[in-house]
Amino acid sequence: MEEFNYLAPESFDQAVVAKSQHAEKSRVIAGGTDLLLRMRDKVVAPSVLIDLRHTSLDKILISNGVMILGTSASLSQILENSEITQHFPALQTACREFAGPPIRNRATLGGNIVNASPAADLVPPLMAYDASIVLRASGGDRALPLAEFFTGPGQSVIAPDEILMEIQIPLLPASSAATFIKLGQRRSMAISQVNLTARLSMNNSDCVTDARIALGAVAPTPVRAHSAEDALVGEKLSEDLIRMAAKKAREEITPISDVRASLEYRLEMTEVLVRRALIATWKKQRRTKTSG
Amino acid sequence: MLPGKNSEERKPVDEVEIKLNINGNVTQVKTEASTTLLYMLRDDLGLTGTKDGCSSGDCGACVVMVDNKPVNSCMMLAPQAEGTTVITVEGLEKDDELHPLQRAFGETWAFQCGFCTPGMLISCYALLETNDDPSREEILTAIAGNFCRCTGYQGVVNAVQRAAAELRTKNEDTEKTDV
Repeated sequence: MEEFNYLAPESFDQAVVAKSQHAEKSRVIAGGTDLLLRMRDKVVAPSVLIDLRHTSLDKILISNGVMILGTSASLSQILENSEITQHFPALQTACREFAGPPIRNRATLGGNIVNASPAADLVPPLMAYDASIVLRASGGDRALPLAEFFTGPGQSVIAPDEILMEIQIPLLPASSAATFIKLGQRRSMAISQVNLTARLSMNNSDCVTDARIALGAVAPTPVRAHSAEDALVGEKLSEDLIRMAAKKAREEITPISDVRASLEYRLEMTEVLVRRALIATWKKQRRTKTSG
Repeated sequence: MLPGKNSEERKPVDEVEIKLNINGNVTQVKTEASTTLLYMLRDDLGLTGTKDGCSSGDCGACVVMVDNKPVNSCMMLAPQAEGTTVITVEGLEKDDELHPLQRAFGETWAFQCGFCTPGMLISCYALLETNDDPSREEILTAIAGNFCRCTGYQGVVNAVQRAAAELRTKNEDTEKTDV
């Protein structure tokens, strides 16, 4: 690891000032579970590290119908939060299947986003829940839909003087249900071969009023399967419809072959997993209706 | 830090002074900002019970408690541990007596070469701090970030259940004497 100056600003305002001062030469560190690896391997060599540990950005709260998650909320914090259990269970499933407990105690939500890994596990559920993010620079704040953040593997629209401050997710009507599925080479400590979240809103006659299918590890960035979503909306849900939507999702993605899986396997499994996720979500909808 | 250390010309070293509680002792350490908590423990403080397996957060041999939570000490910079309370495997025994978990590991043959044991013990210790009667499934979840390449995990599961039973009996006894 190259040497660097370590800063631990006493407030987020000070961190933002430090970020604008050191810009490209600096990196923000929170959990460090990914950044330190890339620094050790000299993929990145910042001369200044700005630690967010004193900035109190790990809060999770609901305000005006929006859940706000601070960028340095750890995956364990997300798992322990009962309001997330109630409103965004698919996000918790993604956290539960992420690495192992010691990593989950350090890794943060903001880190998983800012790294801009195409395989980031928390991004598909956040995209399926219509999350947006707020970036702060000394010049002011910028809010954008999470889906617009990524531009390529490890690449995003974040400017050198910006810090990801928080993630916002609008609370959903009770008629909405979602399912996260991760395919990895083993149950723990695996980087996803394919990960995805499907979310459906339905009316009383089983008609789909809203659909989200967000996929990871199958394109240069996490992606939505828009044509698959369009095929579902306005239609009465059936197994045939789900099969057709899953095929469309397969046609929309552009995976590569790498050490974790081949292109062909990813294509095949995306279709299978989208189908499974939609069926599981449909079942959850039915359960909610019969119980409520 | 050791991995990746080389003789290339380097930037001036950012030295940091860190104060933290390690195994019940308030400790002050001077080290490089780029030192990981793992190598601060091993090299600066001589606490070599904590092991470096993969240096990348995959194997769990370096797991220690930081502020009551198990974390990979290889994935944390020393200055990030400023002001925290750390428990390493050396801190599990009390008054020269092994922790019931450590004894149970020996009694149930929960290890072979022992390299994963310090991290494994800490993950299991963290579990027993919050759950005094864990199921096999809960134990396997707790050690999902700890790899054993010798004997597997069933011995560890047996050890944790044995230690948990012993600790429950102990607590019941204390409660009785308290009354």
